Amino acid sequence: MKSIFTLFILVLSCYDALAQYTLSGRISDEKGKPVAGASVYLDNTLDGATTDSLGVFTFRTTETGAQTLVATAVGYSNAGTPLTVDRDISGINLTLKNTARTLEEVTITAGAFEASNDKDKTVLKPLDIVTTAGAQADVIRALETLPGTQKQGTENGLFVRGGDASEAAFIVDGMVVQNAFFSGPPGVTTRSRFGAFQFKGVSFSSGGYSARYGQALSSVLELHSLDLPERSTVNLGVNMAGIYASGSKLWKESGGDVSVFYNNLSPFYGLVKTNFDYYDVPQGFGGSARYAFRPAKNGMVKANVNVNRFSSGVAIPNPGLPGETVRYALTNNNYNGQVSYKQTLKDRWIVYAAGAYSYNHDQSSFDTIPGSLKEQRTQARLEAKYIITNRLNVLGGAELQYFRINNSFAHFERSIDERLTAGYLEAEWVPVYWLAFKPGLRYEYSALLEQNSLAPRLSLAVKTGKNAQVSFAGGIFYQNPDQIYMYTVKPYNQTLEFQKAIHYIGNYQWQKNDRTLRVEAYYKDYHNLMREYWMPDTMAYDPNNFRSLEQNLETGRFRLNNEGTGYATGAEVFWRDRKTVKNADYWISYSYIDTRRLYRNYKSEATPEFTATHNLNVVGKYWIEKLQTQINGTYSYASGRPYYDPTNLTFLGNRSPDYHNLSFTVNYLRSIGKWFTVIYAGVDNVTNRKNVFGYRYSADGMQRYPMVPALYRSFFVGINMSLTEFNKDEL
Amino acid sequence: MFGQIKAQDFKQTLQKTFAAFDTTKDAATRVEYSNKLGLISKKWSDEWAGHYYHALTKTILSYNETDEAKRDAYLDEAEREREEAVALLKKENDETYVLAAMIANARLAIKPQTRWQKYGKIFEENLAQAKAINPDNPRIYYLQGISKRFTPKMFGGGKKAALPYFEKAATLFAKETDDDILKINWGKRINEEFLREARGEDEE
Repeated sequence: MKSIFTLFILVLSCYDALAQYTLSGRISDEKGKPVAGASVYLDNTLDGATTDSLGVFTFRTTETGAQTLVATAVGYSNAGTPLTVDRDISGINLTLKNTARTLEEVTITAGAFEASNDKDKTVLKPLDIVTTAGAQADVIRALETLPGTQKQGTENGLFVRGGDASEAAFIVDGMVVQNAFFSGPPGVTTRSRFGAFQFKGVSFSSGGYSARYGQALSSVLELHSLDLPERSTVNLGVNMAGIYASGSKLWKESGGDVSVFYNNLSPFYGLVKTNFDYYDVPQGFGGSARYAFRPAKNGMVKANVNVNRFSSGVAIPNPGLPGETVRYALTNNNYNGQVSYKQTLKDRWIVYAAGAYSYNHDQSSFDTIPGSLKEQRTQARLEAKYIITNRLNVLGGAELQYFRINNSFAHFERSIDERLTAGYLEAEWVPVYWLAFKPGLRYEYSALLEQNSLAPRLSLAVKTGKNAQVSFAGGIFYQNPDQIYMYTVKPYNQTLEFQKAIHYIGNYQWQKNDRTLRVEAYYKDYHNLMREYWMPDTMAYDPNNFRSLEQNLETGRFRLNNEGTGYATGAEVFWRDRKTVKNADYWISYSYIDTRRLYRNYKSEATPEFTATHNLNVVGKYWIEKLQTQINGTYSYASGRPYYDPTNLTFLGNRSPDYHNLSFTVNYLRSIGKWFTVIYAGVDNVTNRKNVFGYRYSADGMQRYPMVPALYRSFFVGINMSLTEFNKDEL
Repeated sequence: MFGQIKAQDFKQTLQKTFAAFDTTKDAATRVEYSNKLGLISKKWSDEWAGHYYHALTKTILSYNETDEAKRDAYLDEAEREREEAVALLKKENDETYVLAAMIANARLAIKPQTRWQKYGKIFEENLAQAKAINPDNPRIYYLQGISKRFTPKMFGGGKKAALPYFEKAATLFAKETDDDILKINWGKRINEEFLREARGEDEE
């Protein structure tokens, strides 16, 4: 009996020494949903458990006394509670706050379309732009499938929200691109000079852009060049427009590439019937070199030069005499170079300095009349960003643009000599993760106009839900008058002013799991536009961009003032879905615009010739894994554009037929030996629709002639091969 | 004396927990043991190996998770713990570089089409660093093999292309011993699985 009693005591005391209590409860999120897989434990011990699918945990512990129970889960902030462990405790309920990417900070999206390789959450990637059917790997043509832009077929440029081509600026690494497009005859579009794979990021602003930039009433397209090359490669290609070769070399902290090309469009224009007679098919050659290195940690120096030469001869519709053609021969020489340096210092400062020089010379003959256009631009930018906290930073900078344009036609000569100086300040402030502000101020001085401008800008964004946000952008934007007016300033002592636009943009964006919806509405107010005011009603409107200006014979001055006005308002929808169908990606963009202007030589306020009220684009891409083939299709629609009919009493009261275009491209990818190969083929305007961009009337108003693109349907085929340095030492 | 016992205690607990994680295929159990490794890394917070193994298991969990946000959150945790380990080691070594490469590969795997450019580069850079320190680390070739294995054929990937990497890894794995948890030695078993798979294609 006694021994049993002793045993009992013994067992009891053992039990006491290793007292075990059971702790249990439930872990849930803010909405009361269970959190599975959470780690629940007594702090600084190994006693704990993982919650099951119902968020329930239970564990035994040998710890006693005052303890802290902690719950952690991936994607949630920790929670804890003090408790005294002297018995079994059940019903311990803790709530965890979700910190996963749902709390991602709001970004300002009003007026801005960003495509970047570096950031995860952009609407587009640079590669998406390149593979858009109908764009023929031209960044700018691809942008014409985004909301806010107008389809063009007879004029170069980006026409954004009621703005003409002069109102969009192109920027590479902070430097203005003087000649974004290859030179061509009037009435014929050419490609942009931007290579498809030169950029790691593209941001397209259709309004309300940063105080870093000026001299654009409508839009800024900002391109960010690649840093060091990805790897050492050799790249070769042949297509219907020419041949090219490039090589890049990556060293430890530096890298560079060189490329050469020869273009000859004989095969391209030879395959289909062209609308103009290319009596001297465009051909040219050129090359580029680029070098980048890291002078220090978090620093990058980039330098590049481009040289190229093109010549062509085309019989084009005579812009001055509708119904007649004129032989237009052109030789273009273009050189440019750019150096930039970016450095982050102590994670507090980011300094950026860049300089560039561009030279462009067009030598033309219009029938037999020689012409010359020589443009030179030297520019520099210096800026510093101070990161006060990761929620607040301030940027200050200065910009200098010096450019000279010399133009001659027969024995007439004219020139522009302009120096623009600008300074800007901009702050980015994100007081809480759901709210962001970006106020800015830009000052600019034009030496030629002898005029100052001060342009305030503001954008802000508010997160309205887990996947949704609302942003607003607005500001004042200034721009010099067009070249044809600027020529008059010096020789005729003409007083011109900056033209001005005020933007108000509201944007809603919803983004979830590779689906994006954007809805944007805007209002733009134009002031101080250039106006040629001497225009008796009896006189016909001259739509020719190369017309001569009207001069007052008494004073010798031109009949010009800055009293032109206008507005543009519209709404746009963009929907992109990469989720619903596996390996498929499509986007739909629709833009509606209502815009009227009284500017240039307009007879009265009207919707400009380059504006279609409705624009629709449907872009699709489908990747067939088995065939290693990507099929891309684009359908574009634009409603009719205004044109001038001298017999219609309403100025620009007529509308051209609607524009339709269906395009396809096929990319086939495979390895041939060690060469990664892409074979591509495309058809633009599959149905061979005869799109017309307006009409021009003969002087007597009796005949009209359609304005058509150089080609209706066109075909394009090419092959690109790249060899990545084979590293023998890899194994 | 006491400290030694404590260190022994740490090693045994770590060994046992990681082995338990490594040998189970059940997803929920894996989460449980990874959480346990989290507790170990906290309790012995000045031991680099606790942080290292916690980071490693969180990276492996990321591969098996389906929710994209959660996969990234696992890797955020893995990155933090890897940095802890490096701080305690005072500098990077071949194994910490290999782990950094693996985390980059896991990031890439979440959205390959949009992430390969950024994370592919980080992956390669870290493996190159690891190789400069210790070219005989089998996990370098194992990870290269994995990367090749899941790269589309047209970009020069596939099972066949991955085979020499798994083979090279296997010869190096054979030289490793697995008796000390503090001498990193994971990867042998799964490398053999991939090796078999890659060879299987050869026979067809």
